[in-house]
Amino acid sequence: MEEQNKEQPKPGVCIPWEEKSKELPKIQGDAELVQRVWEEVDELAYTYIWHLLVSF
Amino acid sequence: MTQDMEKLYQERLNRYVTAMRNQKPDCVPLRPFLAEFTAKYAGYTCQEVTHDFRKAFDAVVKTASDFDWDAVVGNMVYVWSGLTEAIGLEYYGVPGIQIGKDVGFQYREPSEEKAFMKPNEYDQLIEDPTAFLFNVWLPRASKDVQAQGDSTSYRNNLSFLKGGMALLSYFSAFPGQGQRLRTECGMPGAIAGILKAPLDILGDKLRGYIGLCMDLIERPDKVLKACEALAPHLCHIAMTSSDPEKILPITVWMHRGCVPFISHEHFKNCYWATLKPILQELWSQGHQVLLYAEGNWNHHLESFAELPEGSIIYHVDQDDIVNVHKRLGHKFCLSGGLPNTLLSFGTEDQVRAECKRIIQTVAQDGGYIMDASAIVQNDAKIENIRAMTEATREYGQY
Repeated sequence: MEEQNKEQPKPGVCIPWEEKSKELPKIQGDAELVQRVWEEVDELAYTYIWHLLVSF
Repeated sequence: MTQDMEKLYQERLNRYVTAMRNQKPDCVPLRPFLAEFTAKYAGYTCQEVTHDFRKAFDAVVKTASDFDWDAVVGNMVYVWSGLTEAIGLEYYGVPGIQIGKDVGFQYREPSEEKAFMKPNEYDQLIEDPTAFLFNVWLPRASKDVQAQGDSTSYRNNLSFLKGGMALLSYFSAFPGQGQRLRTECGMPGAIAGILKAPLDILGDKLRGYIGLCMDLIERPDKVLKACEALAPHLCHIAMTSSDPEKILPITVWMHRGCVPFISHEHFKNCYWATLKPILQELWSQGHQVLLYAEGNWNHHLESFAELPEGSIIYHVDQDDIVNVHKRLGHKFCLSGGLPNTLLSFGTEDQVRAECKRIIQTVAQDGGYIMDASAIVQNDAKIENIRAMTEATREYGQY
């Protein structure tokens, strides 16, 4: 049920940062850096599945 | 030599872009979409260029070096079967494996019963298309990937690792291929960025054509909602794979959205209703789109005419190119229209005569790019491709 109620991820996103960040302790130092890199790498997975669908 | 190639590159690019913007360049540009033809010309089998993209790249460079064209695709044998085999994708017939080594790769649509998406799964797709692809579609489309909840396997784990690394390796090779074509052949790239219509994706990869047709009758609201859910993702993929300089067009490969594959009503209310906003969004971001309209779209030309002037290039396959020119030529550049059957079975004189006819009827004011009707495979005669090239240069001077 919790799965069904979650917000639909936007284009470019598999696991939203908001969801991932809940699993982490309070981030020290540069929190934006951690978010940006998470989102960049997450988008690679998104690119993989959508290009399999569209390009292959 | 390098300066000569760069000069040639700039001349060709200017000619090609001028035509795409529906203006008149110095002469009619040539932009042939050549797939397995390049293998035939360069002395490779279909298996070699499909399974080893480096050989495919070499074949394009060899061909582009020898013919006076204005733009080519870095690799039109786009589906690298090294990747599809590595991850166990089920739906390809690969040269040398499921089909003969000198036959172009084939797309094998599953039967209605074995469609990769079931008719009762629309809500799941609509809720989260990306999760649906990973959790439902891919385990069915790949014999290596395990379904969610099943025990995992070595092959499952390897599929994602090999697939991701292979995709990265393949896509990372394209800029180098573009640079080779520029420096060794003075040849610009023709396109950048891929798009498919939501309804085509639903038919091609998820429900299959027969299943989709049933759904359009039995659950049209679900089909429309699914297309609306797919649309932003397809737009995103088109945008992120496009030319950052916004010179080359994104291509939408239009498959089965026309009459008689679907009805006119389904075209207007679903196919066009969910493709048009993507095209408008891409245009608002500065991207032209090449509508590669496979088949005969004569019944739908009025819909394409709704788009902003200059926003598309319309590629003619089986439409009457003179009619298309009358109805769309005032707003958009056209390409194609030279029948592939002529390139395969006609004589050089017939090819020359048809090129002359097309140029004299639709290209007089610019806004036309010479190409075959459909992607050219290894059945085309080399002498006919040469005749197309020479005739376009002879009759296409402004």
